Amino acid sequence: MGKTKKITFMAMLTALALGIFILEAQIPPIVPIPGIKLGLANIITLAAMILLGRKEAGAILVCRVIMGSMFAGSAASFIYSASGALLSYIAMCILLGIIPEGQLWLTSAISAIFHNVGQLIACTFIVKTPQIWVYFPILAISGVITGIFTGITAKYLVRALRKNK
Amino acid sequence: MKNNKTKIIIIALAVFCILCAALFLLLKNMPVGSIAVITVNGEEFDRIDLQTVNEPYDIEIKTEFGVNVVHVEPGAISVTSASCPDKVCVKQGKMTGGGVPIVCMPNRLVINIEGSGIDG
Repeated sequence: MGKTKKITFMAMLTALALGIFILEAQIPPIVPIPGIKLGLANIITLAAMILLGRKEAGAILVCRVIMGSMFAGSAASFIYSASGALLSYIAMCILLGIIPEGQLWLTSAISAIFHNVGQLIACTFIVKTPQIWVYFPILAISGVITGIFTGITAKYLVRALRKNK
Repeated sequence: MKNNKTKIIIIALAVFCILCAALFLLLKNMPVGSIAVITVNGEEFDRIDLQTVNEPYDIEIKTEFGVNVVHVEPGAISVTSASCPDKVCVKQGKMTGGGVPIVCMPNRLVINIEGSGIDG
């Protein structure tokens, strides 16, 4: 892929991720549990990691988290999503070399758990109430479920993008 | 094609999920006590023994992070209004003594029920 084409492709993915993120923020929470969300924007991070690589996916993620909080969040939500994004990104980077591309849902599910861990760590520092870790089991399970679906979606997105290259 | 490492990770994930489910059910049904502790930004705001409440009343908690209205009634506590956009804490409903705290993340509000007596 040429340099210009690559930059354009990355910009497009960032715009897509941002769009998905903002759209998702408009959906009212379905379950009355703080911290549960679909995490649809992760589809783009996963696809970028497969198609472009770790560094490029990281750049897209940083842009999305910063701009996402600017457009659809607050300073507090930025800290939560940044710490969650950081931990899930590290998990994804490690798993990328271990789990084959066909099992992207597994990478996604595990990175979702780490996203929750990151969020809870940030929460612990902000509200200084360690009792919120009571939510960890339910958040992890919901993360696995939504992570499996975003992973499957990312797999098909990768397939479609490769076909139309 | 699944390789061995992938299989191990899948099994580990499954075990982890089962443990989480068990842990959640355990925590949810854990009888804790009747002292509701309201915490804002890590500092204790109020401490109410729900067993001694006779008449329901509201507390307005106004801080630099936002406004929440907490409804206190005999044996239960709930958040009835919040200035945050998602209102998750309001939807969490009444808390009667389970182990799962009410949390309003944007307003840094946590309501937790502790056992009676000295700090548990």
